[in-house]
Amino acid sequence: MAGIGFEIRKLLKKESYFGLIQAYTYAGIIGAGPWILSILGVQAIGFLSLAIVVPTFLITQFQVSVTHMIAASLILTGILQLAFTRYISDRLFEKRDDTVLPNFIGALFAVMVAAGAIGLAAAVFLFDGLGVVYRLLMLSGFIILSMIWIATIFLSGMKQYKQILWLFLVGYSISVLAAVVLRQFGLEGLLLGFVLGQFVLLTGMMVFTLRTYPSNRFIEFDFIKPGRMYLSLMGVGFLYNFGVWIDKYMFWYTAGAGQQIIGPLNASLIYDLPIFLAYLSIIPGMAVFLVRMETDFVEYYDKFYDAVREGGSLEQIEQLRDEMVHTIRQGIFEIVKIQTIAVLVTFVAAPALLRLLGASQLYQSLLYIDVVSASTQVVLLGLLNVFFYLDKRRIVLLLTGIFVLLNIGLTALSLHWGPAYYGYGFALAVLITVLTGMAFLDRKLQTLEYETFMLQRG
Amino acid sequence: MTHAPYPKAASADIAMLLEGTFPFVSGGVSSWVNQIIRAFPDYTFALIFIGSRPEDYGQPKYELPPNVVHLETHYIHTQIDIPLIRRQRGDPATFGDVEAMHEYFRAPHASPDGANAFERLSRELLPGGKLDRDTFLFSEASWDFIKTKYREHSIDPSFVDFFWTIRAMHQPIWTMAQIAESLPEVRAFHTISTGYAGFLGALLKRRRGRPLILSEHGIYTKERKIDLFQSEWITDNRNVFQKDPTEISYFRQLWMRLFESFGKLCYDAADDIIALYEANRQRQIQDGAEPARTRNIPNGINLKALSPLRQQRPAETPPILCLIGRVVPIKDIKTFIRAMRTVVNRIPQAEGWIAGPEDESPEYAEECKNLVISLGLEKNVKFLGFQKIPDLLPKIGLMVLSSISEALPLVILEGYAAGVPTISTDVGSCRQLVYGFDDADRAIGASGRIVGIADPLALANAAIELLLDPAAWQAASQAAIERVERYYTQDMMFGQYRSVYERALSLPVPSLPGAAGQCPRRG
Repeated sequence: MAGIGFEIRKLLKKESYFGLIQAYTYAGIIGAGPWILSILGVQAIGFLSLAIVVPTFLITQFQVSVTHMIAASLILTGILQLAFTRYISDRLFEKRDDTVLPNFIGALFAVMVAAGAIGLAAAVFLFDGLGVVYRLLMLSGFIILSMIWIATIFLSGMKQYKQILWLFLVGYSISVLAAVVLRQFGLEGLLLGFVLGQFVLLTGMMVFTLRTYPSNRFIEFDFIKPGRMYLSLMGVGFLYNFGVWIDKYMFWYTAGAGQQIIGPLNASLIYDLPIFLAYLSIIPGMAVFLVRMETDFVEYYDKFYDAVREGGSLEQIEQLRDEMVHTIRQGIFEIVKIQTIAVLVTFVAAPALLRLLGASQLYQSLLYIDVVSASTQVVLLGLLNVFFYLDKRRIVLLLTGIFVLLNIGLTALSLHWGPAYYGYGFALAVLITVLTGMAFLDRKLQTLEYETFMLQRG
Repeated sequence: MTHAPYPKAASADIAMLLEGTFPFVSGGVSSWVNQIIRAFPDYTFALIFIGSRPEDYGQPKYELPPNVVHLETHYIHTQIDIPLIRRQRGDPATFGDVEAMHEYFRAPHASPDGANAFERLSRELLPGGKLDRDTFLFSEASWDFIKTKYREHSIDPSFVDFFWTIRAMHQPIWTMAQIAESLPEVRAFHTISTGYAGFLGALLKRRRGRPLILSEHGIYTKERKIDLFQSEWITDNRNVFQKDPTEISYFRQLWMRLFESFGKLCYDAADDIIALYEANRQRQIQDGAEPARTRNIPNGINLKALSPLRQQRPAETPPILCLIGRVVPIKDIKTFIRAMRTVVNRIPQAEGWIAGPEDESPEYAEECKNLVISLGLEKNVKFLGFQKIPDLLPKIGLMVLSSISEALPLVILEGYAAGVPTISTDVGSCRQLVYGFDDADRAIGASGRIVGIADPLALANAAIELLLDPAAWQAASQAAIERVERYYTQDMMFGQYRSVYERALSLPVPSLPGAAGQCPRRG
């Protein structure tokens, strides 16, 4: 999300409460927008089709199918998520803008082939016995979603946040509308509607990209060459997405906690809804994270390295280091503060919210802990972002690795101990990872000048 | 590289430590080294050449004497392949010694333990030691030390420049430590300057306990000062309020102090500290050399080879002024060229010859040639390149030295042997060579003229006076011949060096490295 700071800073320059509110709103919507839209869209399709011709069971089948598509496509494209972003920004830094578009097309193509191969294998073997139309829709949906994530990465890299948001809004509106129109065709109708909307979204992204970034070459695969993308970043992108989803998969496929919904796809009635709702609560945290980390922190970060490079005195360098530490600390505290408010609001509003959604009140306690987890995850994002700025890729790799292992281990424990502990595995995994990250960051910042000066090739 | 492989040997009698001189650079010091080696055919020599970068030197400029059994070359300013960057703590006690040593450099009398600290540290410089190159480059202790020194002393605000200056300055120390380790077995070390070679000598003395002889020709730190003033890569970040115009850039000062410290370590370690002339010996004492270990051995020339040249001289003194030396800024060739303009105005047929290699500073040579053109002296001033001195001497009327720094220039003595008087700037021992050193020497009379530095008019007038007054020229020529025969012959110089060498080589080989030759030294 680097680069969004510039946009936010423009809004902050107004120096009024209104400007401040605008900045935070903008940051919140940009930061959490696409993610929130996809959750809301899927929920809305179910909600709008409810009690009409479609039996509840079909709606569940539809929502679970889409959830699985989203999860699998995010984990698959996670490999490229950070590595490809860095590849693009490196090329832009080298002023080789002309290589950006052909490689984006190349990345899309690569993802299409990979998702196609995986999806096809799944459709043929895993989904054996299900309807051909359903299988085709799942395959195409999986491919389209994977390509959308890549396009989103690319456009974020090109700082086109507003366009991403608008395109998502349009795409999901079409998904919802088409699904509602086609609902009389049951599960296949709902899915077709969803896939159509996503197809429009992808097409919109492609058209926008091709019109905005002309290039004389159509496709290149430079990014695949060894050494062009950081392996550590590929690892981080994969591990982070895998870590975020692994506890869900464990719940889905653990007897007692999850049940089969359609073909090979399971869901956990008790676990799924609260966690998706909980993610709606991170909008304010994301807003603060973007405003604080991408404006204040980056400002001092730049000043610090300028002082190092431009011949500042040691006192200035140390003072700027201290101010940088201060902004990091403040940023993290503010995320914690705002998310605490979000948690409190959720606690108060949970019963009403569940009633509104027609969901059982049994979800309450799980929703509480999930909101805490989701909030902690924003802090984790903030920490990882600082490490990326300091170019400590190996630490991020270590942290995401720790996160995956913790999430697997603690989720297994919570499953073993029973429903009272559900949700605590994920929550603790995120929390321990955050605390570990803070300890690392503390040590890194203490030795920042030493490392900056002494541990580099002169 | 197309030269024959350099000789290699596992042992020799004497190791000569040569910084930027013999056998790759021609000049007075190199000729002197050549002379000394050839004077002692009964001793074998190992030559350790220390240069800046390989590309700065071409083929050897001298044929190696047969008793040179070993020659190795090392370069200070080559990119060192830094191994893997290794994060490490570093040993605080070791950096306590580093601190003691720096304090000793700042105030030798206040911190007498500095010399012992150097002794201890000199054993830790090799890879794996407590102060190896990695420790200096990567350790936290080293980082803390650099920060402390910056806070205590830096008057230039830029920390990044301070940091990299410190890194660049100290790197050669570890290069020297490596050289010291791999050196052949020898019975004595003879360094021909302080500086890096002198530091290497000090290290070798501490590590192996064999005697160290130091022969100083120029004043290393002074020559370095001139280099540093001319170097453009040293920055100065003080703004107009922080700047004291009388102060040189702080980073230049750092470099200067490095060479002063190298000098101090070399004086502390040397058993014999030899100067060419009295003024230089006094300056050594002032810079911290113990008077008891200092002495003068002036240069001497091969009288037998040169005196027959007097018979080849034409009856009429040719109006030719000759400057023999490398075409480099320190020789201030431009002043000579400017003086030639005045000389030619008075004596139109006068010529100025510049005989010396031009490859050391091509841009300076270019500037000199442009100056000749702009002064319209193309017919009178000639660049002859490297010449054999005996061929030149009978053809010239005056030997000229316009240098801004010299020690005891052999060319003056060679000119004297052939009966050629000298006009020189007042540098090094030149005044002593022209007007005499003590009363008996002064009674011989002036064998030329001394003028101020960078004063073309005075130089020209002195030359015109001698060239237009045959009687004055004759008197100077006679004084020159008498002076060189009485005080500056090769035989005198060799005799004194033989006694130095014999004493050094007769010392028993120490049983433990670094254990012998240690009379207690008080700073």
